[in-house]
Amino acid sequence: MRLTNFPSWLLALLALPLFTAAVHTSNWAVLVSTSRFWFNYRHLANTLSLYRTVKRLGIPDNQIILMLPDDMACNPRNTFTGSVFNDKSRMLDLYDDKGALEDLGMGGIEVDYRGNEVTVENFIRLLTDRWPSSHPHSKRLMTGPQSNVLIYMTGHGGNEFLKFQDSEEISSFDLADAFEQMYEKKRYHEMLFMIDTCQANTMYSAFYSPGVLATGSSARDQSSYSHHADQDVGVAVIDRWTYFYLEFLETRMNSTSSDIRLGELFDYMTFDRVHSDAGVRYDLLEGREQAVRERRVLDFFGNVQGVEIETGTQETQNDWKKDLEALQELGARAESQQTAPKSKDKNATASTAANGMPNVSRVSLDMAQGGGSWLKKMAGAASLAVLGGAWMASNKLTKQYAVK
Amino acid sequence: MRLSILLTLPATLLSLIYAQEQHSYTEHLHLKPLPDNSLYAGFTFTSTTPYTAYASNHFRYFPRSLAQILQYTHTAELHLRFALGRWDEESWGSRPRRGLREGGNGVELWAWMDGAEEGWSDLVNSLSGLFCASLNFVDSGKTTRPVLSFEPEGTLEELQRKRSRTGELRLLHGMLPHEVVCTENLTPFLKLLPCKGKAGISSLLDGHKLFDANWQTMAVDVRPVCTPGGDCILEIEQTVDMVLDIERSMRPRESPIPRPLPIEDVTCDETKGYNGHDTCYPRRPKGETAWSLSSVFGRPIRGSCALGGSEKQEYDITFEVPSERTVEITSETTIPQSTTSSGSRTYRLPQNADFDLNLPHQVLGSSAQASTLEQPPLYASRQLTGHGAERGGMHTLLRNPHPYTQRIVYLESLPWFLRPYMHTLALSGAGKMEKMFYTPLLDRKRGTHLELLIEIQPLSTVELTYDFEKAILRYTEYPPDANRGFDIPAAIIRVLPSSNNSQSKQGSYLRTTSLLLPLPTPDFSMPYNVIILTSTVIALGFGSIFNLLVRRFVLVEEVPGNAIAGVVRRVRDGVARIRGMVKGGGVGRVDNGGGGVVKKGEEVVGGEVRKVDGGGRGGKKDR
Repeated sequence: MRLTNFPSWLLALLALPLFTAAVHTSNWAVLVSTSRFWFNYRHLANTLSLYRTVKRLGIPDNQIILMLPDDMACNPRNTFTGSVFNDKSRMLDLYDDKGALEDLGMGGIEVDYRGNEVTVENFIRLLTDRWPSSHPHSKRLMTGPQSNVLIYMTGHGGNEFLKFQDSEEISSFDLADAFEQMYEKKRYHEMLFMIDTCQANTMYSAFYSPGVLATGSSARDQSSYSHHADQDVGVAVIDRWTYFYLEFLETRMNSTSSDIRLGELFDYMTFDRVHSDAGVRYDLLEGREQAVRERRVLDFFGNVQGVEIETGTQETQNDWKKDLEALQELGARAESQQTAPKSKDKNATASTAANGMPNVSRVSLDMAQGGGSWLKKMAGAASLAVLGGAWMASNKLTKQYAVK
Repeated sequence: MRLSILLTLPATLLSLIYAQEQHSYTEHLHLKPLPDNSLYAGFTFTSTTPYTAYASNHFRYFPRSLAQILQYTHTAELHLRFALGRWDEESWGSRPRRGLREGGNGVELWAWMDGAEEGWSDLVNSLSGLFCASLNFVDSGKTTRPVLSFEPEGTLEELQRKRSRTGELRLLHGMLPHEVVCTENLTPFLKLLPCKGKAGISSLLDGHKLFDANWQTMAVDVRPVCTPGGDCILEIEQTVDMVLDIERSMRPRESPIPRPLPIEDVTCDETKGYNGHDTCYPRRPKGETAWSLSSVFGRPIRGSCALGGSEKQEYDITFEVPSERTVEITSETTIPQSTTSSGSRTYRLPQNADFDLNLPHQVLGSSAQASTLEQPPLYASRQLTGHGAERGGMHTLLRNPHPYTQRIVYLESLPWFLRPYMHTLALSGAGKMEKMFYTPLLDRKRGTHLELLIEIQPLSTVELTYDFEKAILRYTEYPPDANRGFDIPAAIIRVLPSSNNSQSKQGSYLRTTSLLLPLPTPDFSMPYNVIILTSTVIALGFGSIFNLLVRRFVLVEEVPGNAIAGVVRRVRDGVARIRGMVKGGGVGRVDNGGGGVVKKGEEVVGGEVRKVDGGGRGGKKDR
């Protein structure tokens, strides 16, 4: 009986993505600073700047999850109590700009996770929404298959890891798996992952879930730099990459109807500005680079909502079909992942353009091809040889003395 | 049918109007200059709702978000505190509101609830979401059940009877001394108010000034008030108390760092001998500093928050200054003001106009200056003693400054990693321990709860001491900033009302400062160092010993050649032969024959021998 329906529902399934793919109906933002202590003031300022920007562009406070591991505004070392600045001109108080222009103010600040609550466990729980039932709604990422999610992270990191609070790390693989869980649970429509840390681009190399657009501040073996320091605050107040992101967003995105494309935003991060190679990973999104660059910036930073009209009762009947479809898709993806490495063996260099999952093996390719690593190996061998020589020389000397 | 509706309409209207009266909102600001250029400001916001409206989810001024949490968790009475700084009793006198609206440093929470343990966990989690604080860290290890220290402020028994619930309400108490109090806690606090900080006295509340204060405490108190036999109302009282340093608050926001004035603007103290042409010792200004509300709080009050019930209130602001002090009012409309019997001035806020108080510089007579500070009921201080990472001691001093005997309840809730030795608990001085409630700790599950009822003789000091042991935590139990130390929550002291002066059954409260306990803390990079060092030592030590044990040492001559050596030698041999052929034919012929013989026999031996004796002779030998 069911099987006779097969062609019709297959057709329906084929038609479905065409209608739903381009629409998102809500925007969420997860803004995370991961470093504690006063001298990491700039990371908090980075995150708060992004908080202000997305709030300015229309994402409401209950759709922003803000994670701040330390308290800078009311820190005893802060001369400007209750304020955090991201520029030495100190024209804009990121923490609460109620004082100067009350009517234009943000209406206070709401921090969802703070202090010791900012942990890798809580961050992954937040993404995958695995919480005890008593967890308050304001601290949950309640996204669905129609939500665009902006994830911004900043802190101290290295090759494929990011430190949390100077006591634990999240690796790029943890993050990739968390995103895959989000994908499987239909918790996002499209996602923009931004990270400002040293060797930031390595953090997104392991991603494999569709619909994730990733950008980072610096390539492998590169540092991310801070922009400038404020002598009265006493520490650096903002990082370069975030600074130029804000510069672009503040100058170009003047209203919630600005029609600026992502390509322009990404092109703004030149080496001259950022002092490191900012990277973008387009390949996980439908349409690849050309199509993604034509997306509007407000798709992720603003709260532009499409409207989708649901056809009431049909939804419930076809639920199991949708699930089946999702399962099939997952199976197909898993298969393609298994076959992907084989094809790479044949033609490793050309795989990036041709294969659906090109960046899975990118790390290993880098290791094999990178001239830098050969140099390192040579240096290692040379140092070993020198040490061995020294050992033999000392042996000879001792023998001589023993003879004497 | 229609008729019946028509008949009941007036009745419902009447009941609505009656209900409106029970929905009320009032606010009040108390200002009082303190010695040392300080200003005490106490904000009170009270809203009420009838219990029937609360039960049917109908709210007017009572914050809905909080009410829903209370309903869900079956909380009858709630007290929440956010506090920062220390009340300086020596110079500021007794505490405002008898310490009833004060909390220990950080966040403090206590509530009377009916229902199971999950209710408490739900409550702290929900409040953590509402107030942007990590209240969810109040787990079983930080929760205590005080017996004597707290009395419900509301009429809980009446309420229980009214709701026909049996069973007693339980009191649970938790403290987070390490919790930071900052602007993100003020934002939700203001959102609970009907005017949201846009009008009325709440428009003065600004995070920049509030958290710059020498001492501040924010409190949320919800209690049911039932008239015997009558209706119940639910009352929420939100208070903010702070002590501002007037001079510090008046610094401009854009440059709060104090910089030296140009020499022309400094009034020099001419009595000093070391004044130069560009430097001098400044003279202490005489009299009272000039200030105004807008300069201290950053803005004037933006009109009144005139909502239901507040019309009945006679005044919004009480200003407690000596009668000689000049106070100018800056407002567009005329402000009704009066002076109460105690000498403090009262004002009513204008409806839609800004309001500011201006106090010019003034030198007051000696009579006005010697304003007597009210003596606090008790002085208390608590310190950690001892040294080393293993043990320590707690030392508390309680001083009764009054000429009558006082009974106090001393409550200490200690974290589990501080293990008190109860046999060392000692009370010395003119005091007597009447009762003790003690719940011992369970590692990682429950902290110590220690409650003492102490009687202190008039004008005397009591010393309370005990020793404790510091537990060693597991590697993963340390917070990221473990080297800072661990905060020990404040001790709560309740001074019981003396029998002759029974103005309230609550008595008054004071809290000691929280303490910082250094625990034995490992160097967290140590495991990595240890792993690296051990691996190196093992690689070097084990490797060389293994080599010594397993290897056999022989002379070079004794070493048997191997296959590769044979091949090498043969090649070398071949080269030598070719060289020989070039030099002379005869030798080559003989050698050729010899080579053939060797190939048939033992290659290795042949090669060895040839190496020693040379190709020609080898050939001869074979022959």
